[in-house]
Amino acid sequence: MEMNIVIAGEAGQGAFSVELELTETLSRLNTHFFATKHYMSRVRGGHNYHMIRIADHPVHALRGGKWDMIVALDGETERLHKPNLREGGIYLSQEMAKEIGDAAKEAFGNIAASNAILVGIVLAVIGVSPEKVAEAAEPGKEEYLKKGVEFAAQWKLTGAFPVSATAGEHRKFDGNQALALGAILGGCQFMAGYPMTPATSIMDYFSKAAAGLPIHFEQAEDEIAAINMVLGASYAGVRSMAATSGGGFALMQEAVSLAGMTETPVVIAVSQRPGPATGLPTRTEQADLHFVLNAGHGEFSRIIFAPGATGEMIALTRKSFELADRYQIPVFILTDQYFADSVQICEEEIPLDVGSREYREFDRTYKRYQLTDDGISPLTFPGLSEALVKLDSDEHDEEGKITEDQGLRIRMADKRRNKITLLRKEAVSPTFYGDLDASSFLFCWGSTKHIVKEAAERLSSEGIPAAVLHFGQVYPLTPEMVAPYRLEEKRLIGVENNAGGQFARLLKSELGLAVDHSVLKYDGDCFTVEELYQALKGLLS
Amino acid sequence: MMETKVDTAWCPGCGNFAIRDVLEKALHELPVPVSKIVLTSGIGQAAKMPHYVGVNYFNGLHGRSLPLAVGIKLARPDLTVVAYSGDGCMYGEGGNHFIHTIGRRLDLTILVSDNRVYALTKGQSSPTTDPDVKNPLSPEGNRNIPLNPLALAITMGAPFVARGFTGEKEHLKELIKQAILFKGTALVDILQPCVSFNKINTYQWYKERVFHLENPLTDRYEALKTAELWGEKIPIGVIYRNESAECRQIKEIFRKQATQEDMECQVDMKCVMMR
Ligand SMILES: Cc1ncc(C[n+]2csc(CCOP(=O)(O)OP(=O)(O)O)c2C)c(N)n1
Ligand code: SF4
Ligand SMILES: [Mg+2]
Repeated sequence: MEMNIVIAGEAGQGAFSVELELTETLSRLNTHFFATKHYMSRVRGGHNYHMIRIADHPVHALRGGKWDMIVALDGETERLHKPNLREGGIYLSQEMAKEIGDAAKEAFGNIAASNAILVGIVLAVIGVSPEKVAEAAEPGKEEYLKKGVEFAAQWKLTGAFPVSATAGEHRKFDGNQALALGAILGGCQFMAGYPMTPATSIMDYFSKAAAGLPIHFEQAEDEIAAINMVLGASYAGVRSMAATSGGGFALMQEAVSLAGMTETPVVIAVSQRPGPATGLPTRTEQADLHFVLNAGHGEFSRIIFAPGATGEMIALTRKSFELADRYQIPVFILTDQYFADSVQICEEEIPLDVGSREYREFDRTYKRYQLTDDGISPLTFPGLSEALVKLDSDEHDEEGKITEDQGLRIRMADKRRNKITLLRKEAVSPTFYGDLDASSFLFCWGSTKHIVKEAAERLSSEGIPAAVLHFGQVYPLTPEMVAPYRLEEKRLIGVENNAGGQFARLLKSELGLAVDHSVLKYDGDCFTVEELYQALKGLLS
Repeated sequence: MMETKVDTAWCPGCGNFAIRDVLEKALHELPVPVSKIVLTSGIGQAAKMPHYVGVNYFNGLHGRSLPLAVGIKLARPDLTVVAYSGDGCMYGEGGNHFIHTIGRRLDLTILVSDNRVYALTKGQSSPTTDPDVKNPLSPEGNRNIPLNPLALAITMGAPFVARGFTGEKEHLKELIKQAILFKGTALVDILQPCVSFNKINTYQWYKERVFHLENPLTDRYEALKTAELWGEKIPIGVIYRNESAECRQIKEIFRKQATQEDMECQVDMKCVMMR
């Protein structure tokens, strides 16, 4: 059983607060849910909507199709969403919302109590008992929720869409929270940033964590300063990261190249939104893959991760810091607005030990860029010993001194480029879902993971066998990653949240794999399961 | 302990040699081991300086010596951090960083080889080039008003603002040492003749004009007036010194770690989103 609800209204009318309070409460009730949102780049007015899927089984995507319940906080909701209400669904009209507001003012002298009243109504709709509702309420909000339960009874909504609580003990995260947490667990202690949606909440979490921990967040004057501060901190000995969106990342590019040249470990999170330029600032897209892949002038090695689930995000972000240090390279985390602004239950255990750098000591003969057999120079930091640590953005000798010696140039260029051979050996395999014998394979990366998985499951259950390969690591790609799947016999379908099929292009250039079809979406929204299922069904049957 | 003299990339007669000599001496005379000193620099003739003075360095990108220095200082307040570059690098490409780094109230030193020209790229106007000066990209003469780095630094609240001259080495060395030992953001703009591309502001030209300030000015408005002096009389020395300005407290993070218990609290943070 599940209940799909949309809460819609102008920015600032409280729909977001309802979502936050509802998801917090559902989590306390150990009920499975997935929540995401569609919002405009404005602080007041416009039309935003918050979509929550509540279920008696794990859910990590929007179902799509008809709504079971609609809450209308503005007039636009009627026009935009009401036609999508299922037969027998609940329409909580603007008038009813007003009634709730009046009750909030009358009973509690507080219009903001309407948010919690709405939460109470939804809980009653999914059949949570009044006792459980009272237990799950935030301290001080018991009466508000109770009022909601009363409204539900009065409007005969109680138990209309019963959903039992089956999630058990768990944690819940939004995408950027998972990213920030993964960074801190990876031993990241320094972030500098300049606000830009949908990356700002990474900075929010990081600076909140910094308040009580040996961690620092610095708001920079621009993205160029931010990334250079991050490289400075990393050079000084602290694991460091930058987070931004496409436009800000454009400004960081020269320093990405600097990280490559100086072999300074750094992790950079790029939270994608639709471009070009300012694009749709608060919507989603996966169109910066090639940008990040090619960012920075010159040739040097890098890794790009694109996690598609909160547990995976935490694990890969944590790992990024290990890899950045071990290979002295930039490691990228590609995410997007959809993932950033989705809250979901994390089924995996999260190990909470914190990673750390190695602090090695050397004598005065230390050479930062020593040419070694394994291709990796010994890394240390200033002021730990007699060793002087010298970095240069010019071509340099082993010591770090500027040089124009062409023999050295070749050796240093090879050293930077050949790290990719080592990175290939470390590549994280894609996640496979489905039946190895399925005739169609769906290729996806990043945030679409669970949408594609669920669509494939639906297809397979209807006798259209489709398996899924989700790439949490999108670069480098290696033949070993796809070796187990006999892809030459399969029909390959790419699913991407962009217009150009960027990952399909990468599969072709890196692995020689040609997808037979691409299902693409680039209107600023993510796919819903229903929408993708329909598109794939058209293709495959 | 002195660095053996290596092949420097400068023209014979360049003012940077004098700076190199005094900077190397000043750094080694400080009550700080050289392994605890970091120079950051950008790109330009001046920005090659770190290669020649025997300390740690991060020779980064054109214009970006300051954010590197900020990152290093925030991560490692135990290090002595000096940013070094040319006028183009510090005031042009990195002008935004110059303004905002001062506002961060960190214990940093900013040294600028100010030759009033883009030397490495062969003689174009820099932010400190005089009006009407002709050069390859301004064949009809520079149309811009020059930036006054000292006045700008004072306006931004820099607590130590000085000017040195490569023709007065002992004086310059003392200025650099004072600037580094000063607790707070300290700027020394160094009048550096460029024999190849600046035929106006030559050694002789400066020698005829510079005069020593007796004592550092402590009044900001007086200091601003002095910073405005240019032309017939050019003051060198500490133009402004504010002992009461407070440095920002930096949290110790280096080699400290969050514990597993700390992380237990972090995992249950409330969601933020939509930003
Ligand atoms: C992003 C970028 N733009 C331009 C350059 C080319 N460039 C190198 S040095 C320089 C100007 C140097 O002037 P200044 O900082 O005054 O140093 P000087 O050579 O005069 O000592 C320029 C424009 C560069 N290296 N990087
Ligand atoms: S071009 Fe000017 S600044 Fe550069 S080394 Fe020659 S004299 Fe010095
Ligand atoms: Mg110059």
